[in-house]
Amino acid sequence: MILAVLLIVAQIGAQDPRLDRLDPDTRAQVTVVVDSARRVGLPAEPLIQRALEGATKGAPGPRIVTAVRRLSTDLGTARAALGDEASAPELEAGVAALRAGATPQVHGVRRPPLTMALSVLADLVASGVPADSAAAAVLALAPKARDADLVEFRRTVERDIALGAPPAAATSTRVNAGAVDIYSAGSNPGPARPRRP
Amino acid sequence: MFEQEDDIVERVIQQLRRPVAIDPAMDARVMQAITAPRPSQRRVWPWLAAAALLGAVMFWRPWSRGSDAERPDILQFVLVAPHANSVSLVGDFNDWDPKRSPMRTANGIWATVVQLAPGRYRYAFLVNGVEWRADPGAPTALDDEFGTPSSVVTVGGKGS
Repeated sequence: MILAVLLIVAQIGAQDPRLDRLDPDTRAQVTVVVDSARRVGLPAEPLIQRALEGATKGAPGPRIVTAVRRLSTDLGTARAALGDEASAPELEAGVAALRAGATPQVHGVRRPPLTMALSVLADLVASGVPADSAAAAVLALAPKARDADLVEFRRTVERDIALGAPPAAATSTRVNAGAVDIYSAGSNPGPARPRRP
Repeated sequence: MFEQEDDIVERVIQQLRRPVAIDPAMDARVMQAITAPRPSQRRVWPWLAAAALLGAVMFWRPWSRGSDAERPDILQFVLVAPHANSVSLVGDFNDWDPKRSPMRTANGIWATVVQLAPGRYRYAFLVNGVEWRADPGAPTALDDEFGTPSSVVTVGGKGS
């Protein structure tokens, strides 16, 4: 009995205090998911942030728990695709790419760190580019492009789409135009100043 | 009477002039005491060396010289909202806490600067404490599970 009480007290003490923003029932369920993720070596912080996002946005408890569980499952899927050595940012980007429709083979691109490549893939899909076109572009560019080049590539494609170009055509055109070479030739880190997302 | 006093003085003088037996090793001991390092000097040098080492470590800060993959980036978030009374930036980087990153306005253009470590972050703007807005200048988050728009920013670590 005493041991059980001590275990419960220890568990309460180990809970992340940030989760106090959740109602008790939701907090308990989210804590179970977070602890399970920790036990299998998955990053806990993305799960906590997803729960906090739901709390701040006033989402109902069951919806928050569902979102956290889904993210935990997807982090596991991303790790299976990327390997045990993948970092937490890479796993998060991998989740975004998988949800965007990328197949696990895209995660095999030889370019550590993969965070930016996978994020750009997901962002292109969010802009309306078909998943296979986005994946093909990232596979073509990632091995030789820097992170800044990939961001610039994504911005250029988004600009073309905003100007009326079909998303898939805009993507392939920019890839074929050797956009990365142009960016690389003219890129200079320059003085440190805040950049835009 | 004066003769008696002179006699006493004479005897004192003779007593003082009498050679005194001195230890032959005295000179060596005196020289050793003079040339030996002072105890305080022996204690100060290690401290000075340790302080110099600590100063060098603090100056170079090897723990903050991570690889490019760990280097944070400085980002400016901007939202044009001329009629807003308050705008907060909330996201994965500030625990979705509106109080952590209030934005400042100049002629209806709200802005704030945040330092982010490499990673992929979801975020949104909270206008007047009730209205959620995505960043029009950033990619949209595909997985919007809470019914309000969010944006995504990725901080890379390789030449970003």
